[in-house]
Amino acid sequence: MRARKLLGILILLIVCGAVLAGCIFAGLLEKSVVAKDVDQPLSPDQMKSLAQRGAYVAVAADCYACHTTTGGAPWAGGLPFKTPFGTIYSTNISSDPDNGIGNWTRADFHRAVRDGVGKGGRHLYPAMPYASYRKMTPEDVDAVYAYLMSRPPMKVANPANELTFPFNIRQGLTFWNLLNLSGDTQTKDAARSDVWNRGRYLVDALAHCGECHTPRNLTQGMIQSDYLKGAMLEGLFAPDITKDGLTRMGFTPQLLAGFMKSGLSAQGAMTNQMYEVVHFSTQYMTKDDLDAMSAYLFGLDALPKDATPPAPPKAVPVAADVASSARNTYLGLCASCHGAEGQGIPHVVVPLATNASLRLTSARNLIHTTLNGIPARRFPGLERMQPMPAFKDVLDDRQMADLANWMRATWGGEPPNVKAEDVAEIRKGH
Amino acid sequence: MTLAMRKLSLTVNGKTIDPVDVPETMMMQDFLYEYLNLTGSRMGCGQGICHACTVIVDGDDGAMREIRTCITGAHWFAGKKVRTVEGHATRDASGAITALSPVQQAFIEHFSFQCGYCTPGFVTGATVLMDELKRKPVRRADLEKTISEALDKHICRCTGYVRYFEAVRDVILKTPGLVKA
Ligand code: FES
Ligand code: FES
Repeated sequence: MRARKLLGILILLIVCGAVLAGCIFAGLLEKSVVAKDVDQPLSPDQMKSLAQRGAYVAVAADCYACHTTTGGAPWAGGLPFKTPFGTIYSTNISSDPDNGIGNWTRADFHRAVRDGVGKGGRHLYPAMPYASYRKMTPEDVDAVYAYLMSRPPMKVANPANELTFPFNIRQGLTFWNLLNLSGDTQTKDAARSDVWNRGRYLVDALAHCGECHTPRNLTQGMIQSDYLKGAMLEGLFAPDITKDGLTRMGFTPQLLAGFMKSGLSAQGAMTNQMYEVVHFSTQYMTKDDLDAMSAYLFGLDALPKDATPPAPPKAVPVAADVASSARNTYLGLCASCHGAEGQGIPHVVVPLATNASLRLTSARNLIHTTLNGIPARRFPGLERMQPMPAFKDVLDDRQMADLANWMRATWGGEPPNVKAEDVAEIRKGH
Repeated sequence: MTLAMRKLSLTVNGKTIDPVDVPETMMMQDFLYEYLNLTGSRMGCGQGICHACTVIVDGDDGAMREIRTCITGAHWFAGKKVRTVEGHATRDASGAITALSPVQQAFIEHFSFQCGYCTPGFVTGATVLMDELKRKPVRRADLEKTISEALDKHICRCTGYVRYFEAVRDVILKTPGLVKA
């Protein structure tokens, strides 16, 4: 009797579970943040007047960097994203009706950008940062829609994603959305200044900084309690950009705003994915907006006038044998460009003595860059940085570890805790 | 300001250089010019781009490596075996050249260069490439691509590279064992 009762409960639980999973899968539990009024199409006049502002919103949201390949047709997509589950390609968002979004309605576009559900109910992969764009205002989404629709159609087909089962089932994203999409799209805090609020909106919604700088949980959702505290990204560390992290790297609010504009500062040059961010997005943003982002990131209601940089970190002692091996390497391979005192060459090579990569908790970025180099880069204005050679064939793991420890201890004030094995791991691409 | 000095000894073109005081921060190119009067490694850009200044370092494993002397400190070469462009040809007891190296000869025959400023770098680069092919021959079909990739970093302001390219292809094809079927 008892056993039968238990069995009955078990069956009931399984059935309920299955029904619930079915409901989730069918999208019944998904909460749209898009209001009904966008079902009303925009008039041609509205489209025209919105498009201009939309160009700026799209810049701030950095749409172009992902939706265009290097040398590819503008807005035609095709940029590969390598994820643990396979490769996803960004899509054509030009106004082409066959391959792009030419026949998407205003409502289709709103739902894609803010709910992650494309035309015809097709779920988007969260490589598209809809978890952040969810906080965009309907006005800004309209503006981007109008702008994109004003772009010429690009007849470029979308490459098929290469995802493994079950991740190739788009509808499965209903589960991800349930776990990781917040229904709260509020970015206004009445207690803070307009500048702070504008900064928060730019950082959280448009510039989607958290997508890279906030660590992710097992389901690849952003861990809100570690908001902007830094995360691993394709073998590199996207640094902590909270007030503490920024201060540690040597930034002041003023310096940070300037760094987003020019991509260069005493802390180094924007590298890796941030290079593209400067190139396609932040260099074109207004001073007010960059100031607002910086003020918000530093937790301030306004950008302070004072631009005195924080005091440089105090050198940490290193073992004599490490120091002598590292100094040899430094003078032999680094000093001709970065200077014997780590001062760099203005407009050519970044300084190392004040370099942010020596002050991060992790030495990973420094080691990765030293081993693999950086191509020549152009920056806003007439700035150019020469290429950094790759030293992976020249330095062994021990030499690299010594060099990293000595530089980080001497200039970055960081404990010399890099081991040769750490270098070996980074060398292997882990 | 006094320059911090350190003793340096190394082998250059087969000759052992006895320990000599060299400023810690001196680049190899300056050492070759100022201490050894070897002026063949050209200073082009001085910042690691043009590869006019390269020399060969013979590794312990027997493999050659091409190193830029303008951005590499003299002391980095301590104890190493270095070959500059002056060390490629065969010489008699008096030091007179009796035969150019196959790469040098090919560049002459193909009229590969005009002003010749970039040539020491190309001689070095092509010699290192041949050394690599000796140990790891390429398929004939991949040869052109291999040459372009290997010498791509060398900049020449005069020639447009075609005759350098043809000379290198020629000498590789003429040397047995560098190309497989
Ligand atoms: S002079 Fe050395 S690379 Fe140009
Ligand atoms: S021959 Fe003049 S630079 Fe090459």
